[in-house]
Amino acid sequence: MASFTLKSFTGLRQSSPDQTSFVSNVPSSLSLPQRRTSLRVTASRASPNLANRKLRVAVIGGGPAGGAAAETLAQGGIETILIERKMDNCKPCGGAIPLCMVGEFNLPLDIIDRRVTKMKMISPSNIAVDIGRTLKEHEYIGMVRREVLDQYLRERAEKSGATVINGLFLKIDLPENWDTPYVLHYTEYDGKTGATGQKKTMEVDAVIGADGANSRVAKSIGAGDYDYAIAFQERIRIPDDKMTYYEDLAEMYVGDDVSPDFYGWVFPKCDHVAVGTGTVTHKGDIKKFQLATRNRAKDKILGGKIIRVEAHPIPEHPRPRRLSKRVALVGDAAGYVTKCSGEGIYFAAKSGRMCAEAIVEGSQNGKKMIDESDLRKYLEKWDKTYLPTYRVLDVLQKVFYRSNPAREAFVEMCGDEYVQKMTFDSYLYKRVAPGSPLEDLKLAVNTIGSVFRANALRREIEKLNV
Amino acid sequence: MSISMALFSPPISSPLQNSNLIPKISLSLLSTKRLSLVSLTRASSDNGTSTPASATTVEAPTPKPVSVEEVLAESPSASENGAVGGEEIDMTTTMMTEIKFQDAKWVNGTWDLKQFEKEGKTDWDSVIVAEAKRRKWLEDNPETTSNDEPVLFDTSIIPWWAWMKRYHLPEAELLNGRAAMVGFFMAYFVDSLTGVGLVDQMGNFFCKTLLFVAVAGVLFIRKNEDLDKLKGLIEETTLYDKQWQAAWKEPESSSSSTVSSKK
Repeated sequence: MASFTLKSFTGLRQSSPDQTSFVSNVPSSLSLPQRRTSLRVTASRASPNLANRKLRVAVIGGGPAGGAAAETLAQGGIETILIERKMDNCKPCGGAIPLCMVGEFNLPLDIIDRRVTKMKMISPSNIAVDIGRTLKEHEYIGMVRREVLDQYLRERAEKSGATVINGLFLKIDLPENWDTPYVLHYTEYDGKTGATGQKKTMEVDAVIGADGANSRVAKSIGAGDYDYAIAFQERIRIPDDKMTYYEDLAEMYVGDDVSPDFYGWVFPKCDHVAVGTGTVTHKGDIKKFQLATRNRAKDKILGGKIIRVEAHPIPEHPRPRRLSKRVALVGDAAGYVTKCSGEGIYFAAKSGRMCAEAIVEGSQNGKKMIDESDLRKYLEKWDKTYLPTYRVLDVLQKVFYRSNPAREAFVEMCGDEYVQKMTFDSYLYKRVAPGSPLEDLKLAVNTIGSVFRANALRREIEKLNV
Repeated sequence: MSISMALFSPPISSPLQNSNLIPKISLSLLSTKRLSLVSLTRASSDNGTSTPASATTVEAPTPKPVSVEEVLAESPSASENGAVGGEEIDMTTTMMTEIKFQDAKWVNGTWDLKQFEKEGKTDWDSVIVAEAKRRKWLEDNPETTSNDEPVLFDTSIIPWWAWMKRYHLPEAELLNGRAAMVGFFMAYFVDSLTGVGLVDQMGNFFCKTLLFVAVAGVLFIRKNEDLDKLKGLIEETTLYDKQWQAAWKEPESSSSSTVSSKK
């Protein structure tokens, strides 16, 4: 019975509005049990044209993910509404973007406060290794201020035709049928009315949840939880002579004192440095870790003045469900932060763009209604393109962040030129570049040697304890 | 008002560290209401004033005495452990600077190999021990890195055979000895039960398999803890993949009903 109705449904080509009511009852019975990866429902190809209106999509959250998604949607001819709760939000963030983001998203160079071309990795026993010798002239890691970047992307989305609303998303009413709209509840903040805004509702056909690590959209669709790290950061203004050292250099500190499963950092920002650390497993000790990070960098930030203290959760892995019917999650809301480096800005923007592209394609530039299979295409493309990157970084984190000897070995390995070249190539251009097999073999041997030496030293340390 | 993270600290004598005031210092974080208030407890010696500081746009004055005191509180206790490599460190009464790792053989951020010579050749064993002591010291008393005195020591200058001789060979000797004893008695035991001699045992496929399993087992499972460690490792390697594939799996009936429920 169900299969018969399926056939008749896909047989529909041009359907006029009076036929839609007949169609709409059918898919709700077959949508849940049938629509799995084995059975490819191509209903969207034959889904009815939207009668004299464009597809309406709401993007919740105006960070890099939301801004990129809204821009691509608007350029694709879809009626886009972007809802952001705080237009001048200074999201606590490392602020590092890879080189490829500047090209792919056409970012103007004045958005970038600093170009980091050197990095220092510092091991638990303060062995410092300089990284960056292999970078070419035009290669750098861009440091941005989030408020500047986010505002720029939102403005571009607005120029492309999106409507930007300053409001706080409250909840969604899930639709009953496959093509009835979602009802969004949100509080709109008018510039004048101050703290309390007006409660409003809006009907949209699809929703992109780009509202960050504590996503309300994710809660509304029951996307599930993820493990997250707490990143804690202090912005410190240091004297000018000390600032010249950080002109184009960022530091990474590893060690049990700094973080049991992550790293501490000193990143230069526009006119100050951000000193911070993070952890997943020992969130209660974050203050202790922060003090240890400041202690390790003490000589170099002596005389500094803390101007701001901030913290934010960072997802460690994707949520169990990244989409549901016509609601998709992108960016931090989906959990697209890499392990080992904790990089999220580029992946947020890219996933926003990819999801929007899938919607534009599935709806044929806003003419047709979309359904879950179009959004699944975005998930497939994303997993296919970036899962290797995520896997590699996960392995690196598991192997090299687990103990002090492992971290010592890690820092030693980073001194190797081949490692630096591979690391920067994959970070800056987001491609897992194949190196030469001979060098890979040498690298493997060196890695084993470093790990062996570091573990041997740890056994020696334990002997001394006795 | 700037914070100077001072290198100089007030003199502290050991009885003082036991009778300490412990003020509660709370720092309230900026940003949204989702962030919770975090409180910080620190031991202080002379200045017992508690300074509740709100670190909004005003700089927080508390970290300055806190970081200094933390160094002080840690280092006297570390010295009392006694297991410290820097023999020359003066830990008695007045400390004008914070304790840094010091050793006569640690020169300019690396070990001076000439001082480790024994009968004309470098005694690598003592280099290894010295580096272990340094790392242990640093684990107990983390130090600031400094651009003027960078640490340049690289463990790879110690030749590979020194590491082998010190770590791999003793363990290999132990394991081989155990394997030989067990092997001898197993051979005797099987011979007494089945009458098959050693040469014929080796020819049997089942025995060869058992031997292979035994060798692999000894290599991977050397202590009782290794068994649990291996199990944990296998689970760990597959966890991340499982988390990513969760989006493609069938939702269980309970969760699917929550999603499809009409609100």
